[in-house]
Amino acid sequence: MFRLYQGKIFNLAMSILKNESDAEEATQDVFMTVIRKVGTFQGNSAFYSWIYRICVNTCLMRLRGKRRSETVSIEEFMPVFTDEGMHASPMDDWSKEVERDALNAELGRMIRKFTEELSEKYRVVFVLSDVEGLSNEETAKVLGLTIPAIKSRLHRARLYLREQLSRYLREGKAE
Amino acid sequence: MNCKELAYMLADYCNGSMDPRLREELDEHLSRCEPCMAFTKTFRATCEGTRKLREAIEYAIPDEVRERLDLFVRSAALKYPEKVKEYRDQVERDRREKVADLAGAAAAGQLSSATALLMESHCAACPECNGYIDAFRKTGTPRGGDPPAGIRSHLIALMQALPPGEEFFLA
Repeated sequence: MFRLYQGKIFNLAMSILKNESDAEEATQDVFMTVIRKVGTFQGNSAFYSWIYRICVNTCLMRLRGKRRSETVSIEEFMPVFTDEGMHASPMDDWSKEVERDALNAELGRMIRKFTEELSEKYRVVFVLSDVEGLSNEETAKVLGLTIPAIKSRLHRARLYLREQLSRYLREGKAE
Repeated sequence: MNCKELAYMLADYCNGSMDPRLREELDEHLSRCEPCMAFTKTFRATCEGTRKLREAIEYAIPDEVRERLDLFVRSAALKYPEKVKEYRDQVERDRREKVADLAGAAAAGQLSSATALLMESHCAACPECNGYIDAFRKTGTPRGGDPPAGIRSHLIALMQALPPGEEFFLA
């Protein structure tokens, strides 16, 4: 069980805590909790969703005990529209550019960096859904939120990321 | 539909869960709006980039961290032997139940399409499981109660071959 989950739990903790030694300690806490509380595990719910929930709670508790790291305001990266609901600024299509191998690896690095700058509210949802690959229903269960709340946060996180990548690629081109 | 509405509907559009009528409307808007086409393509590329990232980082855990975590869990498990036993018993009970349900659903033709496919290809190569499920199907009751150890291990492997979240049975 432990071997099956340690990589996933460590990665999830890394995505939330953004620091290897914190993630390692959190992973230890998660497994300690799992060992102690396994008797309370409801066999009818998926084991991985139970263990993910313990991991998210453990990481959030740790975050709350620390000084908050700098995060960006997601509002600054939402698309801007005119009163008529049209795009207020021109759009570059960089989708073909990132298919090139060199940029592809760079894209992965930038996605990680920009994700780390998101506030915890959006980061946790984005990591569980898009990085860990959980369905909206599963993410909602892990975080104790409604599915519409998950969908909305996830969509905003993706819009933010798209805009960050656009700005990064635009600036890169200008250099 | 305008550009703003389109931007906020892209998630359903990209994952294919959008109502066909709305999809048609959105496609029609895309066909005549260059900024939205660029926006949609780059939105898709962003999601695709994250999906690739997921494949790349899965299970990426430094060796020394893995070793320390192994050691930690082994010593923690020693401190709570009764909990570990409780966990193993629980897993065993869950597995027994799941295997019995799986065999029952296979006999009743109630498997989800993915599981039915796996079961079919397994049974084609395994006379033991094929005989057991076939007899179950004909008689409506499992031969000798729970499946024997050999069949049980095959059915467990079959369940583990399905990705997480995949349903075993038809709703």
